[in-house]
Amino acid sequence: MTPLKRILLVEDSARDAELILDALGGHQLANEVVHVRDGADALDYLYRRGAFDERSDGQPAMILLDLKLPKVDGLEVLRQIKADAALQMIPVVMMTSSREEQDLLHSYQLGVNAYVVKPMRFQDFVEAVRQIGAFWE
Amino acid sequence: MLVVAAASQQDGTEDTLAIDIDDAESVDVHAEGRDAEALIKTGALQRAIFNSANFSSIATDAKGVIQIFNVGAERMLGYSAAEVMNTITPAELSDPQELIARAMALSLEFGTPIAPGFEALVFKASRGIEDIYELTKIRKDGSRFPAVVSVTALRDAHDAIIGYLLIGTDNTARQEAEEERKKLDQRLRDQQFYTRSLIESNIDALMTCDPRGIITDVNKQTEALTGCTRDELIGAPFKDYFTDADRAEAGIKRVLAEGRVTNYELTARAIDGRETVVSYNATTFHDRGRRLQGVFAAARDMTELKRFEHTVRQNEIQRERDAAHAAELAVVNQELEAFSYSVSHDLRAPLRHVHGYVEMLQRETDGQLSEKAMHYLKTITDASEEMGQLIDDLLAFSRVGRTEIRGASVPLGELVHDVIGSLEMATKGRPIVWDIAPLPAVVGDAALLKQVLTNLVDNAVKYSRMRDPATIQIGCGGDETERAVLFVRDNGVGFDMRYAHKLFGVFQRLHRPEEFEGTGIGLATVRRIVARHGGRVWAEGAIDKGATFYFTLERSPSA
Repeated sequence: MTPLKRILLVEDSARDAELILDALGGHQLANEVVHVRDGADALDYLYRRGAFDERSDGQPAMILLDLKLPKVDGLEVLRQIKADAALQMIPVVMMTSSREEQDLLHSYQLGVNAYVVKPMRFQDFVEAVRQIGAFWE
Repeated sequence: MLVVAAASQQDGTEDTLAIDIDDAESVDVHAEGRDAEALIKTGALQRAIFNSANFSSIATDAKGVIQIFNVGAERMLGYSAAEVMNTITPAELSDPQELIARAMALSLEFGTPIAPGFEALVFKASRGIEDIYELTKIRKDGSRFPAVVSVTALRDAHDAIIGYLLIGTDNTARQEAEEERKKLDQRLRDQQFYTRSLIESNIDALMTCDPRGIITDVNKQTEALTGCTRDELIGAPFKDYFTDADRAEAGIKRVLAEGRVTNYELTARAIDGRETVVSYNATTFHDRGRRLQGVFAAARDMTELKRFEHTVRQNEIQRERDAAHAAELAVVNQELEAFSYSVSHDLRAPLRHVHGYVEMLQRETDGQLSEKAMHYLKTITDASEEMGQLIDDLLAFSRVGRTEIRGASVPLGELVHDVIGSLEMATKGRPIVWDIAPLPAVVGDAALLKQVLTNLVDNAVKYSRMRDPATIQIGCGGDETERAVLFVRDNGVGFDMRYAHKLFGVFQRLHRPEEFEGTGIGLATVRRIVARHGGRVWAEGAIDKGATFYFTLERSPSA
């Protein structure tokens, strides 16, 4: 059995988070999910600073990133990740509220790996992973 | 040459003398010393007169036969004295027609027949009436000249006429001068007529006034402007005919001070009250001695110009209003679209949560709930799904306004097949007969047009689901040069034509939700999209006889 890979979930809404975790957890997907509540925490986590300066484990295998976030919003987090050589290989799945937002995001050409429109069902998650490809290796 | 003269004696009596004036020394045998001197003097005088070339002196006997014919007469008439003496009368040297005319005139004047001859020449003189008249004389060579003749009767001591003296001058020079003067007069009149007609025909109202501002002349346009005649205007103050008399007066003063004034606006007021806005150009004018005569002013009617300016201003105002209005509309539309966009997004989140949590609840309570409880949960899910659909439709509706119509060539045929393909799930197992005619390429936005087809075909499928088979026709009418008229026809439940006008309204439905689900935005979206493409939509149908939905689009020019 391959070691379960960690997912970084960046989602501010508690309800949305619960729904996502339910979607992920409900299908025996026992991956570790690290949940942060805003963009600043997401970056702190990835850069091992602030509240996460003691973190010693590796980087997550996948980032589920919500678009609308307080402090530092999803778009900015995405930009920073993709601009950083050390972080840009981490696959990012953007979670949007509508297809329009998806289209808009796509037009920015920021190197999003996959899109999911909320609510993210398990199927959507599977599909996103398939698009990323590397997750299950 | 012998002259018959009357000489006065010292004793008062007169004496008749016959003097040979060429012979200065000849005297009458009756004369005494002093008288002889007088006679010599007289002779010199008479000689001088007689020898003058400027006067023709002709003396005749009582019958008119020439007795004396002086040098002047010789020169003027071209005859030598010898040729005419004792032979003819002066009548023969005159224009016969004039003699006749003169004779007739005298006959009438005096009421007695007068012969057209010498009698006509001397009749008045014979009556003692002073007579000077014009007469055309005929020279020996036949040429003529105008003469002025003075006739005196010569009388003896007993007052009987013994002869006549006719003294004449050549009037040619005077006549020519007269002609010249007449010509100049005529030219002057012509000039005046010319100048006056220019003044009168001028479109502007012309006027002159003296330095005090009293009108001295006007043309007929000024008469028309003021409603007064020339006579009424001349002598009246210029300022009396304007609404702002002070301004009019100030204008005159300015012209006098500066020599000219241009584009001076005044409002003229006629006696009937009619007002006209005019623009004045005026100058001072002087006589030949450079003395100031007054002011010459021309008034241009500004009515048309004012009207034109007013219209231009009105158009400007209208344009400004329209622009402001359009800007307002644009802002409102923008706000509306931003509103519907954000509303639909914000509405989605809680809805999503309701839906999601119900699902979790269902899983969590699997088997533990009563049928009724399960039914309630299902209803909550259905309701939230409906709301989700509504939000999606609203979003699509708002999106129509936001996106720009890219004028690409859209192949409708392909689009229709895509749409039908995506409806596979909904139409699985249903007996549907598709009748798709070849469809043209149209100008527009592919995504939006796909939405139109989706909505219409969706409806056709939905409202014909009780039919076996349901027939759905998609075709195109309209000739090649016009816009394409496309239609989607079904054989479903149709609708009451009385409510056709409500079909395309937002949230308007002609069926109850229990009969057919739907949000009532689909057709509103169709209409909005087609309108943005410059086309129009309409529908025909009958209850239980199906419905046809038409829409027009611009054909794409063939490649």
